[in-house]
Amino acid sequence: MGLKEKIITKSLWVYHVSAGSCNNCDIEILDCLTPRFDIERFGMQLVGSVRHADVLLVTGAMNKKSLKRFKRVYEQAPKPCFVVAVGTCPCSQHMFRPSYSMEAPLDEIIPVDVYIPGCPPKPEAIIAGIVKLIEKVTKK
Amino acid sequence: MIKDEVKKKLEGKFKDWFVKNPRRIYFTIDKSNLRSVAEVLYKDFKMRLSTVSGVDNGDNFELIYHFGSDKTGELFNVRVFVYERHNPEVDSLVPMFRATEWVEREIHEMLGIKFIGHPDLKHLLLDHDWPEGNYPLRKTCILEKKPYPQDKEDENG
Repeated sequence: MGLKEKIITKSLWVYHVSAGSCNNCDIEILDCLTPRFDIERFGMQLVGSVRHADVLLVTGAMNKKSLKRFKRVYEQAPKPCFVVAVGTCPCSQHMFRPSYSMEAPLDEIIPVDVYIPGCPPKPEAIIAGIVKLIEKVTKK
Repeated sequence: MIKDEVKKKLEGKFKDWFVKNPRRIYFTIDKSNLRSVAEVLYKDFKMRLSTVSGVDNGDNFELIYHFGSDKTGELFNVRVFVYERHNPEVDSLVPMFRATEWVEREIHEMLGIKFIGHPDLKHLLLDHDWPEGNYPLRKTCILEKKPYPQDKEDENG
């Protein structure tokens, strides 16, 4: 484990990207941040700008319109930046796959580090996903 | 209940008067009468336009203008059929109801119905690069089909 990985996993700052979701996964992310599950005690904090972020939490099936915006957001993120797909929609496009406005699943556009399936995933599942992300980064 | 008054006032302008239940009335009007009927419902009966819905029936387009009367709780669903498959056009209600601007933009991008008198018929929900003339909710819409992962497995085994 290098110094960079050690520093980055001590306090992951997350940025929440909603790429056309139904808001259910967004509510579950909110549950993680609020006192009941309170991931801030592990140093994870929601940041307002992608320029401060270490992790992008992506929710929602990416449609043609949000894809361009998402690419622009991803380019602004400081690297290394980890991408976590929250919910079945960014993992596999879910039921929206045959839709007219779908382009591609998220991992065909940018590299995805952790997939958290579920519609919506429980806050416990999201926390477990982040733990897996930390394991993956530190064991590299 | 004001449906009898409405029926009397709109005499000769509608057909297929259908009372689905005491508070829900459907009737069909000619598209040239749309503005005058909307004016009667809005100005004389103080109704409001809830929303507009559009559907492609295959050989025609159907627009339903949902007017609601807040005093009596009745809902009047005004059907307008557009029979032109190429270049369908309907009068816009934006001069009377400013709020129909967005719903008409959405119907325009999804079904390709042109609203005459609309100030700016640009895309509302679709991407601005969406190809012109390809309307996603039309029955004739062409979409490139992507194979499903399970389809690929079927081919192999």
